Amino acid sequence: MAEVRETAAIELDGLTKTYGDVEAVRGVSLTIPRGQICGYLGPNGAGKTTTVKMATGMLRPTEGTARIEGFDITREPLEAKGRIGVVPETGALYESLTPREYLGLVAHLYHLDRAAAISKAESFLELFGIADASDRIMTSFSRGMRQKVLISAALMHNPSVLFLDEPLSGLDANTALVLKELLRDLALQGKTIFYCSHVLEVVERVCDRIVILKDGSVIADGNVEELKEMTHRGSLEGVFSELTSTGDLSGIVQALSRSVTGAGEE
Amino acid sequence: MPIGGWGAPPMRHSRGVDWQQLRALLVASIRLDIRSSRSRYGGSRVPPLAIVLVTYTVMGVLLAVALIRSGDPFAYSVFTLSGAMFMTALTVIMEYGTVVVNPDDFEIMAHRPISSKTYFWAKVANLLFYVSLMATTLAGPGSLMGGLTFPSGVAFGLTHYAMALLSCWSTAALVVLLYSAAVRVVSYDRFTNAITFVHTAATLVLTMGYVFLPRMLAEDPTLISIRRGGWLFAAPPAWYAAVVDMSAGGGIYENALLASAAGISSALLLGIAMSTISLSYAGRLSELASSSPREQNVKRRTSSRGGFPVGRLVCSGGSEMAGYELMASYLARERKLRSRVYPAFGLPLAAYLFGLLTNGLHDPLVAAPEGAGLNIMNILGLYCVFISFFFASAMTQTDQWKASWLFYAAPVDDRSALVVGARKVVIWRYLVPFFAGLFVLLSFTMPVLSAAAFVIVTFVLSLGTFSLIGLTAPHLPLSQSVEKARQMRQLGIVALLAIAMGVVIGIQKAFREMPMAGAFVLVGLVVGTWLLELGLRRRLRRRLAAEEFLG
Repeated sequence: MAEVRETAAIELDGLTKTYGDVEAVRGVSLTIPRGQICGYLGPNGAGKTTTVKMATGMLRPTEGTARIEGFDITREPLEAKGRIGVVPETGALYESLTPREYLGLVAHLYHLDRAAAISKAESFLELFGIADASDRIMTSFSRGMRQKVLISAALMHNPSVLFLDEPLSGLDANTALVLKELLRDLALQGKTIFYCSHVLEVVERVCDRIVILKDGSVIADGNVEELKEMTHRGSLEGVFSELTSTGDLSGIVQALSRSVTGAGEE
Repeated sequence: MPIGGWGAPPMRHSRGVDWQQLRALLVASIRLDIRSSRSRYGGSRVPPLAIVLVTYTVMGVLLAVALIRSGDPFAYSVFTLSGAMFMTALTVIMEYGTVVVNPDDFEIMAHRPISSKTYFWAKVANLLFYVSLMATTLAGPGSLMGGLTFPSGVAFGLTHYAMALLSCWSTAALVVLLYSAAVRVVSYDRFTNAITFVHTAATLVLTMGYVFLPRMLAEDPTLISIRRGGWLFAAPPAWYAAVVDMSAGGGIYENALLASAAGISSALLLGIAMSTISLSYAGRLSELASSSPREQNVKRRTSSRGGFPVGRLVCSGGSEMAGYELMASYLARERKLRSRVYPAFGLPLAAYLFGLLTNGLHDPLVAAPEGAGLNIMNILGLYCVFISFFFASAMTQTDQWKASWLFYAAPVDDRSALVVGARKVVIWRYLVPFFAGLFVLLSFTMPVLSAAAFVIVTFVLSLGTFSLIGLTAPHLPLSQSVEKARQMRQLGIVALLAIAMGVVIGIQKAFREMPMAGAFVLVGLVVGTWLLELGLRRRLRRRLAAEEFLG
């Protein structure tokens, strides 16, 4: 039986990543309790993916620590990584394998019981509607089909913490709906979900808590209502714009429009 | 809270390696090796590895047939094993990015609970499997033929095959060790930039070694004899050949000394050195996979520096210029592409240096004196032709192979002009400067007229080869993903194209004996190359007009 520590699910403490003179992430500290869905938002280049990479052990922090259920991701990587499931933003997988082979590989890496793993893989492929393609190599798969395989792979070993970086990317509306409901259900079962996305409507509906990052630093942290109150805005879109926009959005739209049509040019 | 299967007693762990994970990773790697990506833009249905193995088998058979007449089990083994070791070293050097250090794996594996040691040994096991296939195809025919011919029969065949495997594994381990040491010292970006030149140097050294020995043998046929034990200690293939010789009943003392060198080096390379690397492999890979924005900025600044606008001078329109700029950018910035192309320059450079060292650079317009041996100019000419072969093959492969959509979708009247522009980069930025440099180098060793004649002939032949491959090849520039063995498939085919050397020799002879006839042949070559290029252009125009980009 795996060791269980009575701690928060995810603890980020002063997490910092610098590349030479560039500070990609600046001292991010978060404590996410078990069973919470935490939305992690920020403009492009804010440091979201870098945070996820450090929290999942893919990137060594310049400073600070990341703990998964009490296990330090850099000092006890096998214990910590065994507890997480990750859907990466890049959608990287071995394209020359079939979905069945890929999920089989993942099952072996987590020492899953063979029979249970096969049955679980079959059921995922069936439920996501790609059972017909389960023996085809994935080179010709659409982005959505790959995303379904990636989500299945992240859930195969029944992780207690999920890191999802743009998980709805490429998914059709029905699957996206299923996934959103699934996340709520998993959270009710006590799983913790770290959810990075630019789709604010989904974050607003799914997440219990929202953390907004700008230029590598956390600039807001609370539930949707708290953030709305803080910024006096009526929607998460408004909150996000208020906190992260560097200029007048309607002005930018007008300028872009003029650039596209060439209006105003001599 | 239960967390699935993870956390079950790690019974299969020993010495930091999880054997269940290792086996799963190895099986997946082998599946990836033997499958072709079959990409939308021209992936082959036949896996490159299969083509390489067939080519190597042909090479192995030819080598065994050529050497079996020596009648000496030791000399036979030295040559067959050195052939296999040479090709193994070349393969691992050229395919290091996909065989051992592959940052692409990182995105898929780094967040999974795999120890550094497990991951590294899975990679090594995959490498050993790959190398075993190569050793089997390259040296297996030699083992079989030796077993059927030499009196010790089966014992010879089995020992020869076992030593082929061991020597090729050790060679691969040595290359991995050297590369891993280099990666520790410099950043991945700098490393891969440097490795391009290391590839070239390694090709040069290996080629030098490969042509040196036969040359020395021609001067002293008893050189490869177990009784000449002293210098053989400097030749690793001889260490392993000594074991084979012992199985054939060869002398005990010298063989035992050489065999012990084989045993010690293999144990050191495969055991101790590899274990040391494995400790920090994952961490190192993580650093390799994340290149810093600072380095990227430096790269951007470096690559945006202006230079002499060759493209504007040689391209006849905007479409050609667009193709030229695209290909020029890829050749300048895409590390893997460069690392596959640049080693080609190591081959003629090796031939030139070897010719200098052995006074083998004979004036091609003057008949060589009796008994002068092999004219290195012929090898040099052949290697010059190889360069265009390397370019023609490698310029089709890139990690960003979807860039080839441009050739189908660009809103221009004649999309074939884009491909022509891409080809002009190779000709004007690489071939022309190379041949100009070669002319200068040769001018130091022979009359300027002779150097010019040689360079013109080989340049035209090189252009002709480039056009011929362009005309017959199904793939457009930047249209194939980089896959393990694709580069070696190319090299294997190159090795079988030695017939080009016959053309070089023929033209030299024609010039010497009847200068007018030589001139006619040269004019014929120029016209032929021009016609090939015209044919290529016409074919491309027809093909690209018919093929639309369908997404």
